[in-house]
Amino acid sequence: MAAAGDEYDPTPSDDELEAHLQTRNMVVNLGPSHPATHGTVRLRIELDGENIVKMDTEVGFLHRGFQKSCENVTWTQVLPYTDRLDYVAALHNNFGYLTAVESLMGVDIPERAKYIRVIGAELHRISSHLTTAGALSLELGGFGAFLFAIEARELITDRITELTGARLTTSYGRIGGLNRDVPDGWNEKVLKTLLKVEELAGEVDTLLSRNRIFTDRTKGTGVITKEAALDFGFTGPCLRACGVNYDVRKANPYWVYDKLDFEVAIGHNGDNFDRYYMRVIEIRESIKMIRQAIAQMPQGPVMVDDWRIALPPKENVYNSIEGVISHFKLVMEGVPVPAGEVYSATESANGELGWYLKSDGSGRPYKVHVRAPGYQILAGLAHMCEGKMLADLIPTFDTINMIGGEVEQ
Amino acid sequence: MSDEKKVEAPKPAAPPPPGPPPPKNPGFVTLVIDGKEVVAKPGTNMIEAAKSVGSEIPYYCYHPRLSIAANCRMCMVESSAAPPGKLVPACQTGITEGAVIKTNTDKVRAQQKMVMEFLLLNHPVDCSICDQAGECKLQDYYMKYDFKASRLEGGKILKNKRKKLNDLIVIDQERCVMCTRCVRFMDEVAKAPQLGVFGRGSHEVVDVSPAYGKLESEYSGNIVDICPVGALLNTDFRFRARAWFLSATPSLCTGCSKGCNIYADFMGQDVYRYRPRENDAINKSWMSDTGRLMYKTINKHRVLRSLSGRGDAAKEISHPEAIKAATELLKAHAGKVAFMASPVASNEDLLAAFAFARDALKLTTVYVSGRPDGIADDFLRTADKNPNRKGLENIARAFGLTVKPFPELANAIGKSVKALFAVGAEVPEDEAVFAKRAAELSAFVMTATNESKVTAAADVVLATSTHIEDEGSFTQEAGITQRFRRAFPPKGDSLPNWKWAIELSTSLGLELKAAASSREVFKALSPSVPELAAFEWDKQAPINQKRPGITSLPTGADGRPPGWREQGVPNIRGLSLPRGT
Repeated sequence: MAAAGDEYDPTPSDDELEAHLQTRNMVVNLGPSHPATHGTVRLRIELDGENIVKMDTEVGFLHRGFQKSCENVTWTQVLPYTDRLDYVAALHNNFGYLTAVESLMGVDIPERAKYIRVIGAELHRISSHLTTAGALSLELGGFGAFLFAIEARELITDRITELTGARLTTSYGRIGGLNRDVPDGWNEKVLKTLLKVEELAGEVDTLLSRNRIFTDRTKGTGVITKEAALDFGFTGPCLRACGVNYDVRKANPYWVYDKLDFEVAIGHNGDNFDRYYMRVIEIRESIKMIRQAIAQMPQGPVMVDDWRIALPPKENVYNSIEGVISHFKLVMEGVPVPAGEVYSATESANGELGWYLKSDGSGRPYKVHVRAPGYQILAGLAHMCEGKMLADLIPTFDTINMIGGEVEQ
Repeated sequence: MSDEKKVEAPKPAAPPPPGPPPPKNPGFVTLVIDGKEVVAKPGTNMIEAAKSVGSEIPYYCYHPRLSIAANCRMCMVESSAAPPGKLVPACQTGITEGAVIKTNTDKVRAQQKMVMEFLLLNHPVDCSICDQAGECKLQDYYMKYDFKASRLEGGKILKNKRKKLNDLIVIDQERCVMCTRCVRFMDEVAKAPQLGVFGRGSHEVVDVSPAYGKLESEYSGNIVDICPVGALLNTDFRFRARAWFLSATPSLCTGCSKGCNIYADFMGQDVYRYRPRENDAINKSWMSDTGRLMYKTINKHRVLRSLSGRGDAAKEISHPEAIKAATELLKAHAGKVAFMASPVASNEDLLAAFAFARDALKLTTVYVSGRPDGIADDFLRTADKNPNRKGLENIARAFGLTVKPFPELANAIGKSVKALFAVGAEVPEDEAVFAKRAAELSAFVMTATNESKVTAAADVVLATSTHIEDEGSFTQEAGITQRFRRAFPPKGDSLPNWKWAIELSTSLGLELKAAASSREVFKALSPSVPELAAFEWDKQAPINQKRPGITSLPTGADGRPPGWREQGVPNIRGLSLPRGT
């Protein structure tokens, strides 16, 4: 059976020069490996000419059994797995997970550790937003802004490397605080870095935000209404771009966010430009926050003083029975987390990163579930793109900033 | 003013002090522990009463099957019946009507912390080389009740770190917390009061009384089990495995006909030790030293591949070849094959084997082999060193088979008996003697778990798995049938006895009414055995539970054999499904 549109229509047209093309809907795959989808996701798109009729988003290419793997290791050993969620901003996952475990245990971490967590998280927020803005520009044909963004991101990555010892897979922080304090002179270096980042982010802003080509491609494309965004479960910059004032840092302040002075960027149109511009503003706000945090940061320990949670100093482990017992039990059996369950959320670069943890009282998680913000937003991609032009899919896909690691776990 | 006082009328006599309140629940003692009402029988230990309402009272020296010493001071609790301001030891204090017990107050916690600090004061930094690490009460309680750094300045007291008490037991006196469980065990249970406490204060040590010089008891291994720390060590297990890498399967000791309940601790396809498992009716919490070492038969000198040919001519053969060789020999001597079975085999093995003897070999008589009799005592050891003689007799009787003793067979070999099929290689006489007799057989087919002079004399040896490699049951001397669980799949190419019986029957042209598992063998063949008919095979299976303390990963990382998930019962977080459900 031939499909509709298959037969040649012999009806003569008014214009004798019109070409009577035999059009039929075509199904194309964008991904799972495609230069314009920076992330292994398969978009199965049904096209009528250049218009998207229907779109299926297929995830799972990066599925690695994250949640199940967590059940087989101690609470502390989960940490390296969390690096691989949103790998563009790993500290958000590290700290989010630790905060969830700490709230399940009822542990309050030292003040200094809270400030360092804020600084680390905001650095990685800047890093993630620069990547989003830079990649958006790159995929719309503007190479310059990408270079400025990545130069700034490199500077931040260097600071993160100095802090955690790793560029990407940070595994920084421990239950009850941090495994190490900031290096000597690091704070000053961060402040200097921020000056440079500010300048480079300004370049990106200047190059893009008033650029005719850029605004034409982003304004009014990939639109989603406030209501639809809420229905899909959008959070973070993508939700705020629709005009919803929701930021976990303000709605339910954790660490020391209540002591910092910052604004939450709110958009109006819910289109690609607003989503992009939310990030531009958030970069500025994050820089502001880091400066405040460094100024306010007190001296003191970065880890709770409790050998049921924190590893004893090596000197005690080698030379005292108390230290060796604590070390042995913490390493072999894990930190004893009391039986119970918790949902704890922090604001990651892409939105609300929620952790549902359940403990049976042993040293290993009974259940770990992550509400990764990217998953719900990716689910709304088809809604934003169906009926629109294929070319607008690319900036839309960029501004939602899907990260394969967290969506597919 | 003073006058007024003088003229004051004398006070009326104080009312007599109230007697004890009438019991709230007659016949029981009702008290409150941590705000929860407990109704207990008079004489119930306070630690046990607290346990029943979920309050954990820590202890080292208390043991439910030993007398009360109350010397570790770890179980101190607050009681309304105690003198004001005093804590009382929960293990020693009787429960009284209306008493209010608190196990979790600041005062109790301070006491627990102090006790722990003192116990660790002179404890060596040994966890990394200590066998007890991972199942040590010092470690558990430190993390729960102390969790503070040491305040000790200066060195620790040094004592003897490796004193041999006998060939099996070594004591590390530095690690000892002086709970005296071992001293009380030897005195009260083993009835060999040879251990004692010597010295004073921090210099106290547990040692053998000089009058004995050496610990002499068949039950000395139990003091290693009851030692709450790593002071008493079993030389057979010492330094061989870390406790958290071992998985434990509830099983039975096969050392004698007593049927002591045990845990078999294993890693991969090797058993590392037997530990007694509690059973009030049979072995309480104990087992004998001989039984403790029975695990070695599972690991060493196993027949892992079936063999054909006698003596030096023996060569390994595959499973189909083994079936073919055995069938040919049995067919060639059809009607003239004698049948010998060892009471080391399980009920399921013998059900199938006797069905094979009766239906495929058309026999009416079976001979009983088995291990020779040994030393018995008035506690756990019995003279019959076979775990399932009762079961063998029950099944044979129900199957209409006459059971004849081994000597009748031994004397008839070479005369009236020319061909023999044996289940198990254990014989109650010298193996060399029996091997010499067997040389006169024209056909000798046997199933065997371990290599011996007897297996060397056989034409075909069918490699057989031990009880630890399959589910099954034994009937012990008093007629109690008990289930044991499978630890790991059969080693090498070995198969359980019941499987060999079924396959040989099939090969001889007879379809036995049983099939895939020992459970199905039992279900199919046990109803005709009156002693087994009522035995709830599934329900009686002890739960394959998670070992307490630190456990290994529920994946292959703990050294479990390949194919474990397919062949065995995965045991994850204490959950496992009984086989066949």
